[in-house]
Amino acid sequence: MKGYLRRTPGTRADVHREASELEEVVEEARALAEKLGLQPYPVKYWVVDYDDVNEAVALGGFQERYPHWRWGMEYERQSKVDRYTPARIYELVVNDDPCHAYLQVTNDAAVQKAVITHVEAHADSFRNNDWFQRFTGGFDAAATLARHASTIESYCRRGDVDREEVERWIDTVISLEDNIDQYSALEDPADSGSDSEAEELRRQVEEMELSDEVRDEVFTEEWLERQDVDDDLESVPATPEKDLLGFLAEHGMAYDEDSGRAVEMEDWQRDIIRMLRREAYYFAPQKMTKVMNEGWAAYWESTMMAAEAFAEDDEFLDYADHQAKVLSSDGLNPYSLGKELWEYVENQANRREVTTKLLRVEGATPDNLHDKVALDEVEEKLEPRHPLSSLSSETLDDLEELPDGLVDHGNLQRARQGDVDADRHPWKLLTYEGLAERHYSLTRLQNKGFLRDVTASELEDRYRYMADVDVYASAGEALEDVDRTAGWRAMKDVRATHNDVTFIDEYLTEEFVDRHGYFAYEHSEATGQYHVSSRGFEDVKKKLLLHFTNFGKPTVKVHGSNYDNAGELLLVHHYNGVPLDLEEAEATLERVHRLWGRAINLKTVTRNVEESVMKMAKRRGKEPDTAEKGLMLRYDGSEHTWRELDEEEYEELLDPGLDYDTRPEDWLN
Amino acid sequence: MGLRRDVDRYRDVGEERRQDLREFVQYGDLGDSLEDRIRIPIKVVDLPEFSYDEAAMGGIGKGDADVGQPVGEPAEGDAEGDEPGEEGGEHGYYEMDPEEFAEELDREFELDLEPKGKSVVEEKEGDLTDLVRSGPSSTLDFRRMFKRGLKRKIATEFDEDYLREALKVEGAGPQTVYEWARSQSINVSLHWLEAAYDEIPRGERGRYASFEDFMEDVERTTVAEAVRGMDHVPLRKEDERYRYPQVVEEKESKVVVVNIRDVSGSMGRRKRDLVERTFTPLDWYLTGKYEEAEFVYVAHDVDAWRVEREEFFGIQSGGGTRISSAYELVHDVLEEEYPYSDWNRYVFAAGDGENSSNDSSDNVVPLMKEMDVNLHAYVETQPSGGGVSSTHSQELEKAFGDSGDVAVVSVNSRDEVMDAVEEILRAASRSSDNREQEAAV
Repeated sequence: MKGYLRRTPGTRADVHREASELEEVVEEARALAEKLGLQPYPVKYWVVDYDDVNEAVALGGFQERYPHWRWGMEYERQSKVDRYTPARIYELVVNDDPCHAYLQVTNDAAVQKAVITHVEAHADSFRNNDWFQRFTGGFDAAATLARHASTIESYCRRGDVDREEVERWIDTVISLEDNIDQYSALEDPADSGSDSEAEELRRQVEEMELSDEVRDEVFTEEWLERQDVDDDLESVPATPEKDLLGFLAEHGMAYDEDSGRAVEMEDWQRDIIRMLRREAYYFAPQKMTKVMNEGWAAYWESTMMAAEAFAEDDEFLDYADHQAKVLSSDGLNPYSLGKELWEYVENQANRREVTTKLLRVEGATPDNLHDKVALDEVEEKLEPRHPLSSLSSETLDDLEELPDGLVDHGNLQRARQGDVDADRHPWKLLTYEGLAERHYSLTRLQNKGFLRDVTASELEDRYRYMADVDVYASAGEALEDVDRTAGWRAMKDVRATHNDVTFIDEYLTEEFVDRHGYFAYEHSEATGQYHVSSRGFEDVKKKLLLHFTNFGKPTVKVHGSNYDNAGELLLVHHYNGVPLDLEEAEATLERVHRLWGRAINLKTVTRNVEESVMKMAKRRGKEPDTAEKGLMLRYDGSEHTWRELDEEEYEELLDPGLDYDTRPEDWLN
Repeated sequence: MGLRRDVDRYRDVGEERRQDLREFVQYGDLGDSLEDRIRIPIKVVDLPEFSYDEAAMGGIGKGDADVGQPVGEPAEGDAEGDEPGEEGGEHGYYEMDPEEFAEELDREFELDLEPKGKSVVEEKEGDLTDLVRSGPSSTLDFRRMFKRGLKRKIATEFDEDYLREALKVEGAGPQTVYEWARSQSINVSLHWLEAAYDEIPRGERGRYASFEDFMEDVERTTVAEAVRGMDHVPLRKEDERYRYPQVVEEKESKVVVVNIRDVSGSMGRRKRDLVERTFTPLDWYLTGKYEEAEFVYVAHDVDAWRVEREEFFGIQSGGGTRISSAYELVHDVLEEEYPYSDWNRYVFAAGDGENSSNDSSDNVVPLMKEMDVNLHAYVETQPSGGGVSSTHSQELEKAFGDSGDVAVVSVNSRDEVMDAVEEILRAASRSSDNREQEAAV
């Protein structure tokens, strides 16, 4: 993260030198990560110069992607950022087995180390989080994406298909790349390669050699199309379908502009939808676990770099500077939010462990715990035992005094013989349990008081289900028994099963929001600005969930494929208090139309302010009343129309339990 | 490779082809667009998708703010700005202003171009400095704040382990240790010493015979160790500084930078790209160096005309080349609008070395000699590597040699851009030295 000009292009020799210097760092980082209980995928590090990094960024970290201008756009943007600003990509890691990560040859040593420790933690969540496993486990990403690239390239080269036509088709599909069902397991849409029944019928009609009159009277095109619809689509989908791409890959048709009719898709068209859908599922977990994943990496990076002295003395200020930049950007920052949440998970689990043990002291109850045990003193008693927090070559003897299980005696022996450098790598002297005590969260300065802040209801909840009480004679005895790994264990459990939505839902508590000072804001119609709407944790959580649920996009599902009995598609926006951007929605409908071939309808709810009300509100500086109103948008291939819905047509969309609008009743009045 | 073609196709989208995407193309600025910041134009093709109404979506902020208080526009990098986690992790953007950029270049190239104050500005009352205590958060100097916080932390935290040991010196008490510590410029508090002294077990008192012995035996905690032990750096309101243009000054240093570019048919896209890559850092550097900077953009083929920056790097005409047309125009513009008595002048020209016969020696060189400027530069781009024998730059080198007032560089690939920039800026700071010496004589 040094200035822009540190980047003289790396020569081959630079790259080699840098690579061999980093080899030891990489090995040590892996050993430390494993000692801390992480289980990362193997990581292949590439030392590259800046232009290679820009290319890698453009292609999402992969070597080969299908031909499309979007990569060119990303490359151009990245190169400009790189050329004109000191900002740089400091880490780029690809989720695959093994993972691939890029290190810029011109980064300084502290940054390289930070990147490596950060990447190791990412590689751990790629491997151990269920959401990654669901869509990417056993998926050879690099090979699959390369295969997609060559298949699509071959379509571009086909004599009967124009390259631009392929590109346009890709654009169309990309517009819907977030419209997949990322919360369900991926199923391949059934192959619908066979001709539809209508096609069959059409052939039969032609074979019957009917007179034109009869054909025009009875077996009209409309009639044929209706047959198709009736047979095929009456009951599709059986339940509302969120995987719009999958649905269109299976049932969609192309639109022939000349005849204005739906026609069967070409094989290459259907194939492209399937491939891009597969890629969308592959990238989904990264979008679904952004806060968790970045927070996780930031947490372990800081544990390794700062608390475990992975940065050498002379690198430390560079590192601190680097980290401050990453964590300090304005607005919602997934790194710092995630890191705070992980620390909260850790503290909470540690507190639970301690208070559970204390409630088992003879005579202790939730009511008298504060009187019986001075929680401030407990914090002191929980300080890591000597010499855990001051490990060095001077304190080797003291280590022998510690109870079993904390010390890595093999390495201690090697340290005595001089084969392990206890001053540079003190962590080598300890086991996982030893490290857990060395880094115990509740005694850290910034967590002072966390234990004491335990609420009565938290204690009550715990106590109610406790089987064995009165186990310990004294608080001291109870504390002896505290498991220091409780925090890390809880973190690893959460990392295995959660995604951002469940993570925020569960851990963004009132206590958390109060400690960190988050607030929600909303847009005011009257002032045209954003204003703080609430500091309540429920509202903050709501707003965060809005941003992270379903990639921060509205949920739109297929509700019917024979709307109006004419083979039209019915999409429904599952309204949650926040309306659609209607202009975008109309443009998107045009895209869906190209993949369905027939008219598209979209049912939605919008919030409307009448002009006169708006004017009055502005004059008085008060927030106008907004009325929710149902709308049906329709696009038929040539024009957009819309109509207001009757109340009974859209009331099902107004779920009172689902409202992400956090504006208080009397806001700004 | 494929990516090059993707880049070309992207540039064409909505222009030479794919008119259907025209409505989704936006020409915006990269990053922040504050007045005093550099804007980097960027073209974004934003495909439509089902999305929330942006205003209705609201957002999350952090800090002290009461309900109802306005929070300003959501910052870039807010959740709705960036796709969360689009394809791999990439992040860490921050912006730089021209001043920082210039400092960075100075450091990197060890330049010392001293901007000359020229026009006199009336002194204003008040005591404003270039850092003020409040301002929009985007101008907050975070780096400074962080370092101050760190320094304070180091300065105010005393080395407890070390002082505790000092209390074990034979015959030492809180008062003596306090005086000794003050004499050694070690942070200390008498109150703390008194409390700490009582806690020292009797048996440990008198471990060291004297302060000299003690200092011999015990090492102070190094700064690096102290920093590492810190769990967090206190960021204080009082350390907040916001960048603010300096208001009080006697003389203002003003610069006019003239960019001349050959836009004739032979200047294809790659050549244009190299010119943009070379001129932009030069412009920024000078913007950062001088208090006031103005730019003049001149395009030429056989004729020359003034253009706006937005058009400057993109124009391509069909005609031939006559470089002197540009210098004639520049000569007049400078005389009329930017008198040398008030303005520092830099004239940078770029092209691929082609010129109509004898124009360089007969017309351009005399014009360049006639103009009063801080520095002339000519950037020759020949990305195709064609070995033309008599180019404009050779004529210039013949005429000016190493006189120092003219920098001639050639840029044939992206890798050579920074070398060229360095060479020109070196010439610029050399010529500022020369000027000073002349003045001294």
